[in-house]
Order: sequence, then C-alpha cells, then structure tokens
Amino acid sequence: MKIDSLIKSNEEILGVQREILRILSKSNETTYPKEAIVALDTMTLLKLPNSLRETALALYKLGEATAEDLATETGRKRGIESAYANQLTRTGYLKKKRVGRKVVFYIKKSHAER
Amino acid sequence: MGKVISIHSSRGGTGKTVIAVNLAMILLKRGFNITLLDLDFRAPSLFNIFREGIKKPVGYWLNDFFNNRCKIDQVLIDISESCNADKKNLVGLANPSIYAIGDMMSKSQRWEASALDKLYFLRRLLLNDMKIDYLIYDTSPGIQYSSINAITSSDWPIVVATADPLDIECTAKMLSEFYDIFKKKTLILMNKVFPETNPPHEEKELINQLKETLSHPIIGMIPCYCDVLRAKRDYLLSIKNPTHPFIQKLKEIAEKLVKY
Repeated sequence: MKIDSLIKSNEEILGVQREILRILSKSNETTYPKEAIVALDTMTLLKLPNSLRETALALYKLGEATAEDLATETGRKRGIESAYANQLTRTGYLKKKRVGRKVVFYIKKSHAER
Repeated sequence: MGKVISIHSSRGGTGKTVIAVNLAMILLKRGFNITLLDLDFRAPSLFNIFREGIKKPVGYWLNDFFNNRCKIDQVLIDISESCNADKKNLVGLANPSIYAIGDMMSKSQRWEASALDKLYFLRRLLLNDMKIDYLIYDTSPGIQYSSINAITSSDWPIVVATADPLDIECTAKMLSEFYDIFKKKTLILMNKVFPETNPPHEEKELINQLKETLSHPIIGMIPCYCDVLRAKRDYLLSIKNPTHPFIQKLKEIAEKLVKY
C-alpha cells in the first residue's frame, strides 16, 4: 500500500515536472511575433548593414512596396530586394501582407489620415 | 517632383534658422510652393519669427502631430498672404513652451521610429499630393533624434558651418560618421566666414581647403555681416531688406539649388 502511494506521488511529481518543462520549452522558443515589434528608428538604421539599410530606407520613402517597387527605387534586382525585405521581416523590422498575388512590405500602418 | 532640404549643423549658433527662413522666402519669391517646418524641438524659434504674420492663435503644433493629437492640416499655417506671395507658403511650428520642449526630450526609441515614419508620410503628402516644390526643415544642431530623423528623410541636407576650426572638425566627424553612411548628397554652406573686404583668391583657397577637409561640395560662402547679427529677432531680411548682401549671397545659393 505504501509502495503504491509512493509510486502515485512520484507520478504526480513527474507530471508536474513535465508541465514545468513544457512551459519552459515554450518560453524559450525563438518565434518571431506576428506583428513587427522592433522599432526601426534612425539609430537602428545606422547599425544595419548597408544592403539592408538601403531596402529599409526605400520602404520608408515609398510607404509600402512590393519587391519590384523596391528594386525600382534602389536600382537593384527584384530578387535581391525580396531577399533583403524578407530578412528584415523575419527580424521583426518590417511587416508584409498579401494583396492579390503580390506580397506588399510595409513598416507600419500608413497614415491614411492627415 | 519636389525636394526636401534639411538645414543642419554640428553645433549651435551657425545661423541655421536665419538661413532656413530666408532661403524659404527667396524660393517662394522665385515662384515655388514652399513649406517650412520647425524640427528644432529643443529650441523652437520659427513661432517668434512668424508671429506677426500669423493672424489666428496657433491651435496645434508639430509636436501635436508627432504625438498623434491632430492631423497635419491642423498644424500647417498658410502665411502666403502676409508674404505677398502667389504661391503656397506653409509653416509648421514647434511648440516653444518649456513643457513641450521637456516632453520632446524624453521620447522612446519606438516613438522616434514612429516620428521618422510620420516625416516620410509628410514628405509624400506635401511633395506628391500638395505639390510643394521645396520642403525645408530647420533642425536642431548635432546628432539627436529630431535632427537625424530630418536628415534621413531629406534629399539634400545642407550643413551650415562656420570657419571656426572646432566647428570644421565636428562637422567633418559628423559627415563621415552619419551623413556618409546614409549616402546623402550633402552640401556645405559656410556662414559667418571672413569679412567682405577679403580678396577673392583667399576665398578660393579656403574653399579648396574645406573641400579637402570635409569631402563634400561647398554650395556657398557667406561673410560675417555684423548687421545681420545685430538684427536680433528681425530674421525676415529677404522681405524687409531684400538688397542686403547676405540675401544676395543666399539668392546665389538658391539658384544653385534650383539647378542642382
């Protein structure tokens, strides 16, 4: 009887441990937030590599843009702009949305109102 | 397509504001639509300069726009009539109250990112939709958020420097460590240089020396005019004394900008 109760208690402790580990492993997951939460201020822009800074500045200028729009602004190839914009999105600096078949990058909701 | 010009300097007292205001007036008289924004939130001065030309009390300031308290058309004041101009002449004023200055000094990184986004929004609105030819920013000296945001969002930053060696040194450092990284087409305007009586060859020599030190084109050299310094709050020289040699020099600079 004593052994049964010890086994039961042990199982309960193990259950609690598993739950703690599950919560801990979740909190350690390096998932990027759905919404861009990293501020892309001027000092952050200054610290970015030249290639990414150029894409970010082009996007600031255009408000929101496809990789093709960015390529027209920077004079680089569409594929390169797409890679840089996606890299900036993964790091949380930009957001992207799908408009029809196009992927549109943006820094934040544009100020539609004056 | 219009252009954004920021007037900046590495240190205070170089004459940024008097240059920004009169350059705006000269370009207005030259037939362009102008908007002048006071982005020097730590030491706002455009309100005092334009006070006489503003008929109604100021309802909203640029501070309110950046703090999401109003729309930009509630901030911009049309002073075309008081300048006898046919073209648009809008000014956006910074709040000169000590509380507003204090508030603008304690902003977060996230707020500054939003301010940069708003400056780019203003740029699109004024240049594309409102057909402004020149949007001119009067900025704070040195490297601080309000000025670097202005520089980042401008097409042609103009750095005003004096012949003081310390100023030249600070300007050279600022150009290489900030402007060059953002690949800006920066122009240098030397102000308060030597007296008018100096021979032209000395001016050329100084220009060559400065070009070498600063590695950027010099758009003009304005001598030190004691009466401009003595004018105190009478900054609108281009209207009150359009034949003044200071204004003539600025007109030459404005012409270079138009053709730039």
